[in-house]
Amino acid sequence: MSAKPREVANVGAGLWEGTGMWAWLLFRISGLLLVFYLGAHIIIISTARWSSGGATFNSLMKTFDNWALIVLDMALVVAVLYHALNGVRIILMDMGIGIRRHKLMFWSAMAVVVICFAIFAWVGFTYIATGKGVSW
Amino acid sequence: MKAAVASTHKGGMWAWLLQRITAVLLIVCLAIHLIFTHLLNIGQLDYGNVANRLAHGSLTAVDIILLAAGIYHALNGLRMVLMDYWFTSRTRALSLTLGLWVVGLAFMVYGTWALWPWIS
Repeated sequence: MSAKPREVANVGAGLWEGTGMWAWLLFRISGLLLVFYLGAHIIIISTARWSSGGATFNSLMKTFDNWALIVLDMALVVAVLYHALNGVRIILMDMGIGIRRHKLMFWSAMAVVVICFAIFAWVGFTYIATGKGVSW
Repeated sequence: MKAAVASTHKGGMWAWLLQRITAVLLIVCLAIHLIFTHLLNIGQLDYGNVANRLAHGSLTAVDIILLAAGIYHALNGLRMVLMDYWFTSRTRALSLTLGLWVVGLAFMVYGTWALWPWIS
């Protein structure tokens, strides 16, 4: 069952040298981070039902409303965007798209990460600086 | 190439396929979730404004899809990582899979309970 070459097993996740290897490693690290975040998120958000009118939830949200945790939120956004866009690249490569141009595929995905992050960073840092959101 | 990737995937063909289906669901629903919660409605998050958003049935539906797809995708991903290093034998892999299903179903029940006022 485990006697097949990793190059075949993980062809989409990385071509096992240079860019592909780092892409794979970061994919695993961001994935594991997101597993633990999801568990914490479900428990913290569900506090909305721990007390009537959401008193527990409201006091937690007040605690989280500070600049250091918003900066940490931005790091979370990077992990989510990286995992999502590298995942899109893996699905495309599973379908046979872009295997020969895997570096171009990877860096295009990273360009989308940067563009999406810019939007979140703009909103996040506007909130830290002014205490208000961006009015669209 | 397609067949090679799917058939040699050590997690199994169905897990491989479900991981990709939930990935697509997560990208779409997470985009909606993040845009409505954190880009359009910025400001102090509190019970009132979260409840107002959940009062829209379609956003509750997005949250239920996120709960189910997120738990499956997260735990199957964790399973793939653990099977690479510690749960390498068949019996160990099977007990890991069963254990993660128990954890996943427990989170699903708990999350559904938490969303229940907006579902019912």
